[in-house]
Formats: sequence, C-alpha cells, structure tokens
Amino acid sequence: MKKPSLVLISMLLIFTMFLAACGGNNAATNTPSETPKEETPKTEDPKPEEPKKDIELRVFSTFGGTDAARESFQAALDEFTAKNPNVKINNDTMSANDDGFRTKVNTDMNSGNEPDLLFYFAGIDAQGFVDAGKVVPMNDILDADAEWKNGFTPSALENTRQADGNIYAIPLTGFYEGLFVNKKLFEENNLELPTDWDKMKKAVETFAAKGIIPLAAPFDQSHYVVEHFILSAAGPEGQAKGLKDGIDPNWEKGYAAMKELYDLGAFPKDAATIDLGMASNYYGTGKAAMILEGSWAFGGFADAAVKDNTTVIPFPVVPGGLGSGKDIIGGFGTGFYLTKATYDNADKKDASIALLKHMTSPATIQKIAVANGGTPAAKVEITGLAQAAMDGFKMAADSTSINNPVDSKIAPETFSTLRAAVQQVVTGKKSPADALKEAKAIEDANKK
Amino acid sequence: MKGDRKYILIFLFPMAAFMSIFLYYPFFKSLYLSFFRTKGFFDKKFIGWDNYERLISDNLLGASTLHTLELMLYVVVFQVGIALLLAVMVDNISKFQGFFRTVFFFPVVISGTAISLLFVLFYNYNFGLLNGILANLGLEKVLWLSESNALKAVAVPTVWHYVGFYFVLFLTAMAKIPGDYYEAAKLEGIKGFQKMTKLTIPLIMSDIKVVITLAITGTMKVFEFVWVVSRGQNGTEVLGTYMYKKALVDQNFGYGSTIAIYMVVLGVILALLANRLLKSEEITY
Repeated sequence: MKKPSLVLISMLLIFTMFLAACGGNNAATNTPSETPKEETPKTEDPKPEEPKKDIELRVFSTFGGTDAARESFQAALDEFTAKNPNVKINNDTMSANDDGFRTKVNTDMNSGNEPDLLFYFAGIDAQGFVDAGKVVPMNDILDADAEWKNGFTPSALENTRQADGNIYAIPLTGFYEGLFVNKKLFEENNLELPTDWDKMKKAVETFAAKGIIPLAAPFDQSHYVVEHFILSAAGPEGQAKGLKDGIDPNWEKGYAAMKELYDLGAFPKDAATIDLGMASNYYGTGKAAMILEGSWAFGGFADAAVKDNTTVIPFPVVPGGLGSGKDIIGGFGTGFYLTKATYDNADKKDASIALLKHMTSPATIQKIAVANGGTPAAKVEITGLAQAAMDGFKMAADSTSINNPVDSKIAPETFSTLRAAVQQVVTGKKSPADALKEAKAIEDANKK
Repeated sequence: MKGDRKYILIFLFPMAAFMSIFLYYPFFKSLYLSFFRTKGFFDKKFIGWDNYERLISDNLLGASTLHTLELMLYVVVFQVGIALLLAVMVDNISKFQGFFRTVFFFPVVISGTAISLLFVLFYNYNFGLLNGILANLGLEKVLWLSESNALKAVAVPTVWHYVGFYFVLFLTAMAKIPGDYYEAAKLEGIKGFQKMTKLTIPLIMSDIKVVITLAITGTMKVFEFVWVVSRGQNGTEVLGTYMYKKALVDQNFGYGSTIAIYMVVLGVILALLANRLLKSEEITY
C-alpha cells in the first residue's frame, strides 16, 4: 500500500509546484504575458479579407442591479449593436454597493481575463493596472477625433488624468457628495437648514429629543462621514495632503466634531452594526432627517415624499475648521478604459473604439446623466430632473471648490483605519489624536 | 487486486489534481504571499518576517481570536448539544420521523447569507421583528446588537443554521446501533433518560467526536453571519471577517495571507486538541 500512495503524493507535489511556479512568474514580472493570446485563439486568427467579422465585446461596469442608470446604459449598448449587427456585446455588470466589484476588476486585470471596455474608478484605484500597462492611454485617440474630444467638458477629462499625466479613463457622468436633508422634517420642527455648526447642533438636539434620527450614518461604512468631516475641518488643501508628510492637526477637529454630534445624539442607536443600505433606508423612509450621501443616492430612497422633500447642501464647517462651508466632494471619478489586450487585437480594436465613442457621445452621456442624476461629462443640458437633483447641481455650481474624496489621497488600509476609528472616537475609547496617529502608522507601513 | 491499483490511481488522480489546484496551491500561495508587503494586485515587495511580527502584536487579531473561540464555545455546546438532544428524541419516536428529519435539516440547505439577512430584520433596532413585538407589548425597545450582546446575537443564526446537519449525523449513527442492545437494556430495566446516557451516547461517542471536530473547524470559517448581521462591529469581529477586511477591503494581501496561515495553524491545533481530549476506544458492533 505504501508505494502507490507515495507515487500519488509525488505526482501531486510536482503538479502543485508546477502551478506555483506559473503563478510566481506571472506575479513577479508583472508584464502582460502571453496568456490573453492563448485564451482567445479564435479571434486571433487573422482573416483580413472579411471586413465585418462577428466579434463579441465584453463591457464591464457597475451599471447593474439597482443602479439608476442600468436601463439607459443597456439601451445605449443596444443602440450600438443595432447599428453594428456584427458586434455582440456582453454587458457584464456588478453592483457597486459593496467592494466586491473592485476585487473582480483587479483579479480580471491581473489574470489575463480583461474585459474589452472597463468602466471603473480613475486615480489611486486604477494605479495598479495603469502602471502594469493593462490599459491604453487615450490621449492620441482623443486628439485624432476632435469632434468627440470637443464634446466633453474640459474639466471632466482633466479630472480623470492619472498621476503619469495621461488620460486613460473617458468619463461619463460625475458625482457630488453632500448633506441630504429632509426639508419637511426641518419645517415641521421649526428648524433652519443646518448651514452652520450652531444650526446643526440645534437640529440634532431637537430631532434626538423627538425620537427622529438626526443623521443616518453607519460607523463601519462611514466613508462619507469621514470624507466630509475631514474636508470641513482641514479645508481643501489640508485634506488633499493626505497623511504622507505627517498629520495635519486640523484633521483632529473633524473627529472631535463627530464626537460632539454623537454626544448630542446625532447617530442612530444601532450605528455600529448597520450598513449604508440600512442608513439610506432610515433616511428614505423618513425615519432620519439627514444623511451624508452622493448624487447616486436619489434612486435608493424608498419613499417618494422623502425624495420630493430632499435638498442637498454642503456639510457645515466644524468648530475651528478651515473649510469655507462651500467646499464639496465630487468630481469625475470614473470612466471607460480600453484594455491593452483589446487594443492589440486587430479584430476588436476598431469596434471597441467605436463602441467607446458611442458610449461617451454627448447623446449617451445626456441619457445616463438624466437617469442617475450625475453631472454630465459633456456639454449637454439636463432637464426633467427632480428638484432635489437640481439642488444638487446648483450646490456643485455654487461651490468654492470641488474635491476628490480623501480616500483617493491615502492607502485603502489607512482609510479603513480612519473609518474604524469613528466608533472608537465618538464613544470616547480613543482620542482623535491617537486615532490619527494609528492611521499615520498604517500609511507609513503601506509605503514600505 | 494488484492489477487494479493502477486504475485506482488513475481514477484518484483527477480528484487529487482538483484538490491541489483549489486547495493546496492557494495554501502554498498564501504562505508565499505572507512574506510580502502588497499594494493592491500589481505591486509587492519581499519583507521577510514583518507580517508575522505584526501578527504577534496585533490587538485586533487577538480580539478576533477570542471572539472566534467564544463563538466556538457556543457552537460546540449548543449546536452539538441541541442536535444530540433532538436526535435522541426523534430516535425514540416511531411516527413522523421522516417529517422531523426534513424539518430540522431544512435550514442547512438555505444559504447562510439569506439566513443572516433574515436575522438582520429580526434584530434591527428601528423596525426589527423583535423590537416590533416588544413595542406592541408596550415594552422598551432593546438594542439587540449592543456591544455586550452582539456576539451572542450572531451566535444564534450560526448555531441554528447547522443544527440539522449534526442532527442527521447523530440520527444515522443511532440507527446503526443494533436493536438487541436496547432489548437487553429493556430486560435489565434501563429506560428513558438512563438509556440515553448509559447506552446511546457511549455507543455513538466516535460520531460525537467527529461532529465536535467538524463544529470546531467549521467555526473557524464563520464569515457571512458576522459580515451581514453586524459587519464585525461591536465585538463580533471573527478571524474570517478580519482576514477578508485586511486582504480584500484593505487590499493588503500579504497580511491577509498571514492571517490565513495563522487560521490554518490555529484550526489544526484546536482539532488535534479536541481529538486528544475526546480520545475513546472505537466501538464495533
């Protein structure tokens, strides 16, 4: 009995080592290997005689699930396939509600399974696959088609520029974040909208006494809480510095302000264990008076009456904060990438560029912007939106600065540490200074 | 028999290959990655034992370990205990056995995430089922997922989900006990509770051992209940969720892999320990 098992084990071992070796090579060199070629042998066959060859393009995006623009996006794709019957489009989507799609995108990009067009974040999130040369710089393609390029608002294109100076992502719609307030609840309680800190405190006290949740914010998924408090405390320059060169002492004020509001009863009682979806549910059903959210949130509010009574304002300046009270978070943080593997594929190249141009044409951008309430990246007029969404655009237009959120300035692990610190600080288990020191230590370790 | 071996090996190989690709290869890859500092998916740097040094001084990991152990205690006591109790009772009835078997086994086939979502709606402070009942009775609402209570609240769906699985294992084990043992016991005048403690349980001891080992290793993998019900907040962070956060949310695959290795080591130690403590001679009928 001994011998066969020995044979089996050694076979296994060799097999495992073979696999491990493959993986190791791939990861160590980081160069686009031959894998994509091997995986798509059918489309590689050069058949130049046939001009209209049947091809399939995979477009990965987050326009799925409950996304407000899901149907408009699909319609835009259908428009393209109607005009180009030889192209089949695989509309591959994943919900943006959790971080799962980031993992999917990064795994796909890293394992030779790139989609043809990818709709994803620009900036630090894309740094990995941009540096690895997995996507094509769009500068030349943009310059070659002036009509297409001139369709965009210049600032929108500028906003997706990577650190290396190239534009890789072609934007569709932008976003803004702000304080969403239920005007009706404020009126019913004779309160003024929280445009400054005193009004904010007054509102929190009044709502808390009445049993209405003042600010629907979760501790764990406190992305928007951290972003707004830090921006308001440190101002646009202070937050843009991140934590690279030491801790800006003004950041502490943001955390101190969180504690101040928590002590007044601002957060939901179960803030520790709810997620963003539940927080949005509290606001959307009229159980909460305020929520920090982004322009995409309108679709998620369950109650139509709440939607109609919502307006969006900038988050007020925290005590001692350097913000102007008109600084908002927003930008064009996402766009379409054309992957290198597709660009190098003679069959797919032209069709995918045509599709990209179609999907980012002013007409498509307009339709998507109307559907999701985002700021359009093209010079188009948006009409027929709900009042709240128009308020949001107005807020963005009146703002003194539009800032990329602070998580685009620091490592993901640092941002997680900042989020985890929210509960610790507001419940008094940790001082704001200690929380920031801890985040700084993580940021430093990430630079190693 | 001799000539068959070749074929046995040939037929074993596909499964073995499958296991190596999806189990052993990821394990060794994790071991490899645990010596690197990773930045996202594309960039990594060899840092020697740094991740392991961090492992030792990581308070959050210590807390997660304790929470996992506490959860394990609940699982071993209640999951195995309730399963055993139910199995003994169902074994003693002659009618409706099939019905109860189906009813108790049913939660096992439901996905853990679905059960967790169900419990989110039970526990929710503002409009959850439990607080709805309390409010109707005119009582004060309770924060079910408070810092002192959250882990116990998460333990309830965790225990409930798999009770049926162990119940069926126990029931099968009991069905294997020959009828003449019970007849002899009946002649000796042993019945009821004594029959259970003196006869049934000793006879299925080896199965209990297996179930406890399964329960212990199963608890190391708990993820969805904690993730969905409490997001690892309020003292409910377990090793599974902590590893996920480090590896996939923070994109620190190096340290995430280190935690994975730690989980494997801890799981093996606990399983060995349980085996040693529950040592008993094999019974053959």
